Amino acid sequence: MITKLLLATAMSVAFAGASSACDFKNDVPVKSLTAGFEAWKAVTDFMAKCGNFTAELDQEFRTKQPAAFAADPALYQIGGVANGTLVPLMNEGTIRPLDGLVEKYGQQLTPNQLIKVNGEIMAVAMMINTQHLMYREDILSDLGIDVPKTYDEVLAAAEKIKQAGVVDYPLGATYQTGWNLAQGFVNMYLGMGGEFFTPGNEPAIENEQGVAALEMMKKLTEYMDPEYLVSDSTYVQQQFQQGKIAMANLWASRAGAMDNPDESQVVGKVKMAGAPKAAVRAASTLWWDGIVIAKNASDEEAEAAFRVAMNGMTPEMVEANNDAAVWLIEGYEPGPLAQGVVETAQAGALAYPASSQMGLMHTALGNGVSDYLTGAKDAATTLRDIATAYTTSAREAGLIK
Amino acid sequence: MKYKTFAAFVGPSIFLMLLFIAAPLISVFFQSFYITQPVFETVEVETCTPGFPTQTCVTEQKTQPIIGEDGKVVTTVKYVGLESYRNVLEPDRAWAALSAFDFRALLTIDFWKALRFTLTFTLVTLPLVIGAGLLIAVVVNNASRLIRGPIIFVSLLPFIITPVIGALSIRWLFIGDGIMTAFLEWAFSQNISMFAQGWTIELLMMFYRVWHVAPFAFVVFYAGLQTVNQDTLESAIIDGASRWERLRYVIIPHLMPLIVFISLIHLMDSYRVFEEIVGFSSQAHRISLQWLTYDFLTPDDSGNRSISRASASAMLTMIGIVVLLVPLLRKTWRDHKGGRV
Amino acid sequence: MSVPSSMRQPMALRLSSAGFLAFWCVIAAFPIFWIAVMSVKDPVDAFAANPFEVIFGPETVASGRGLSIVSIVVGIAVLWAAIHLALNTLPRLIKQYSPPHLLVVGWIIGVLVFALGFLIVFFGLLPPVLSAVNTVLGPFGKPILGMTTEHYRAVWVDNAFYENFINSLIITAGVVTVSLTVGTLAGYGLARSGSNLAFWILIIALVFRALPHSVLVAGYLPPFINSAEILRPILGDAAPTLYGQPWAVIAVLVSINQPFTIWMLRSFFQNIPTELDEAARVDGCTHFQAFRWVIMPVMWPGVITTGLFSFLLAYNDYLVCSLLLDAQNQTMVPAIAGYFNRETTTTDQVEAVAAAVSITAPLFLLVMIFQRQIVSGLTAGAVKG
Repeated sequence: MITKLLLATAMSVAFAGASSACDFKNDVPVKSLTAGFEAWKAVTDFMAKCGNFTAELDQEFRTKQPAAFAADPALYQIGGVANGTLVPLMNEGTIRPLDGLVEKYGQQLTPNQLIKVNGEIMAVAMMINTQHLMYREDILSDLGIDVPKTYDEVLAAAEKIKQAGVVDYPLGATYQTGWNLAQGFVNMYLGMGGEFFTPGNEPAIENEQGVAALEMMKKLTEYMDPEYLVSDSTYVQQQFQQGKIAMANLWASRAGAMDNPDESQVVGKVKMAGAPKAAVRAASTLWWDGIVIAKNASDEEAEAAFRVAMNGMTPEMVEANNDAAVWLIEGYEPGPLAQGVVETAQAGALAYPASSQMGLMHTALGNGVSDYLTGAKDAATTLRDIATAYTTSAREAGLIK
Repeated sequence: MKYKTFAAFVGPSIFLMLLFIAAPLISVFFQSFYITQPVFETVEVETCTPGFPTQTCVTEQKTQPIIGEDGKVVTTVKYVGLESYRNVLEPDRAWAALSAFDFRALLTIDFWKALRFTLTFTLVTLPLVIGAGLLIAVVVNNASRLIRGPIIFVSLLPFIITPVIGALSIRWLFIGDGIMTAFLEWAFSQNISMFAQGWTIELLMMFYRVWHVAPFAFVVFYAGLQTVNQDTLESAIIDGASRWERLRYVIIPHLMPLIVFISLIHLMDSYRVFEEIVGFSSQAHRISLQWLTYDFLTPDDSGNRSISRASASAMLTMIGIVVLLVPLLRKTWRDHKGGRV
Repeated sequence: MSVPSSMRQPMALRLSSAGFLAFWCVIAAFPIFWIAVMSVKDPVDAFAANPFEVIFGPETVASGRGLSIVSIVVGIAVLWAAIHLALNTLPRLIKQYSPPHLLVVGWIIGVLVFALGFLIVFFGLLPPVLSAVNTVLGPFGKPILGMTTEHYRAVWVDNAFYENFINSLIITAGVVTVSLTVGTLAGYGLARSGSNLAFWILIIALVFRALPHSVLVAGYLPPFINSAEILRPILGDAAPTLYGQPWAVIAVLVSINQPFTIWMLRSFFQNIPTELDEAARVDGCTHFQAFRWVIMPVMWPGVITTGLFSFLLAYNDYLVCSLLLDAQNQTMVPAIAGYFNRETTTTDQVEAVAAAVSITAPLFLLVMIFQRQIVSGLTAGAVKG
């Protein structure tokens, strides 16, 4: 899958002369380092059409990217980032402002795509992703349940489904220990209206909202497969496909797989809705993915890199891969699968609050929340231990004096 | 052998080990006493990100590192003594839990939890690996020559298979309604979830390790059995020794150096257990010392990593392994002394 | 050879040991057998809860991909013949045709030719012939066992897994060669020197071997990525970026593997009588000449065994390669991780299983051929502790 791209690159270099897929011929060698999921494959495939371009879709990009961009010259000119992975690059000042390049070559970009920090364009987003409700329409309508809008309704619906015994487990969730579980808590806690930090970067999670979020998560787990602490998005997706669960808050990018006849036994039965609300707002966070350009590269390289990158974000690319993601790029036709994202955003879900502190908090949550769910600690102790873990690492990182 | 010739023979090997093992090790040792931090400033930042239908902009106080003249982040290095060790060991909490005889509380501290699992894992699998290896070796050695070849071949498979793949292949058998779980559910007619609680995962991890390493022990023991002195064995038979006695008094003493060798290798390998944690995603229930170090080192989304605590935890792991190895090292030392006379 | 009556085993013992062996073989082989079965099924079949659905693959058969009785019989016959060839004819031919001092090269060429031939016959020649036969046979030619090679095609052709395979070969060959060269020298030196220094080197090597790899590996990344900048004052503009360079990874893997290699080879050399090289020394050889002309000819069994362990380490490595190599030079094992990402689908998983089986296949072949050498090498004393 990584190397597939290299092949595609080689092939498209061969085709570049003949096809008009790229509006200029690139003669400066350009390399990119991104994550390796479907949308990046689509985008880098189109970038490759300009020639002289090598795409690296790497599972370890999170580890490699900060170091590779800090090197002089940078090992890659184009980087793929998301809310979180933009932070280290911003902090270390290894990416360049794109205002000039956007003005020159970015006419087709919509204002929504431009990630601005203090008014300067630092990244160009291509897609948006969020966790939202997916549900088995047939089951819900058979049992006469309305699509749940809040988590209390989710619990009520789950209880009904459990009573009816139509599926193995009413709910699924991406509660794998670590990043996924922490993400679950972040969603729920923000949905409950919580704040993570005091102005001095001290942890602020030991409060009612924190306890409420934990309690809600625990209530939900009672309706899940007992192996929820190892279930990542692929596992939940499979549970859906094999007809084992009826509802789950799952990543929008997974929606397409529900209707894949090769894998799914529930084609056409899974529908999308906005993420249910917790006490205050939709319990979900919005994520974007996009590109940045390295600072430690010559202006000529940066210009070529940006033009190549723009060729990955054309309406033609979207047309060819319409359902691979919820694109922000012009030409995207939101299908029924995008419904959930739009509803979630409209219900007030916040963007994931990425920052250095949040990274540390996310790790602390990922390692700590499971202690409450397994019953090893009570809610107050769990939150206190997470706060302590955060404080220790924040002090080590120098964020707290 | 003259010193110079000796140096020429071992030189390249020593050079590689110094460069790629000793040098990182020394830097890890020093890093465990220092903390490197960026100098932060707090500024007001307006960030605009995509939303529906239009962008959302937030203005907030952000803590961000100061970037110096040379374009790099300004950092300070601070000597902190044993603080990183304290952060890993959490001695106050550990002591409070110990003095109250509350082991559950002790095991909620990451390091002690990891130590508990690592030690149990190492010490439980050790006799199992030796026992299984010995048993297979003896039985194969008694089997007819015709089937020995194929059996040795099949027995070696779990050892040669890539660890990541081996762990995944066992995980796929058990996770969710994997076929082994389905089989167990059918056999005990109750709902079983192997990955829902700690002890079943721990069992699976131990099973995997024994499955993976026993073949190595087997093939070493089997090789050793080929050199058992047949005369001794025959005289034992003439003396009327039973099969068990022959095994106990002739074969096992003969294999003793090999048993020590396997124990040594196994202690070292299982003390740094890591693949199992990742392969079986047991982080919620069971973590190991190497996993703890790895977790400190893995950058989170925002690129933070706890180098100092990782170094401290690595040094503690090292101390642990040296303690475990001391008895075996003393034996090697005695052999060395003995060998020179 | 007649067995003395007292050595003869009572029936109960024979039965129980036969039973135990059968049980062990099932445990040893089953997980591997099972992933091989999964890799040739539709995703729905591969992850079915009912084992018979996984084995027979009703969904796979329903979509028209499967084996008939005839194909199964022919396939098994060809497999059996191949195993027979590999175990008996191949070693004989290699011994016959390769000059004694190039035996290793002879083996490598022989094995490669054999593997290539097998792949061509089994995957290239057999399917079209059998499908023609099946259409003629009617009911006997109807597929009953679901089987599809599409995942393998996806892995090897669409995802260009052969590139990873070549990278793996380069890394593995490099590690084995360098590791053995450096290791035999050191092992010999250590075995022939009774000094305390030699002893302490061995003990320190032992402690090095016990180090958790993740600690070392994470330490390599920053200097590897910045090496061009770091080395520029010394090497000028020729300073290389070590990150992504196969030879840099080879150096790392060799070093990590050195402690084990020198321990094994040292105990092996200790079992070669000192009189051998002393005699050569009396005849006026230097230590190096003695090593080259007296020791090298008799050291092969131990070197082959140690080499196999180096091979396994390099071939199976995940941590070092995934972090220090870029995608162009990535080896097979980390490449599998590419299938488990944020967007993994069930099809991706089955493809990952197919890739996993592909990685295991060469190991399979390796053990099949070197099995005797492993045992005889170990017997010859490479592991006297």
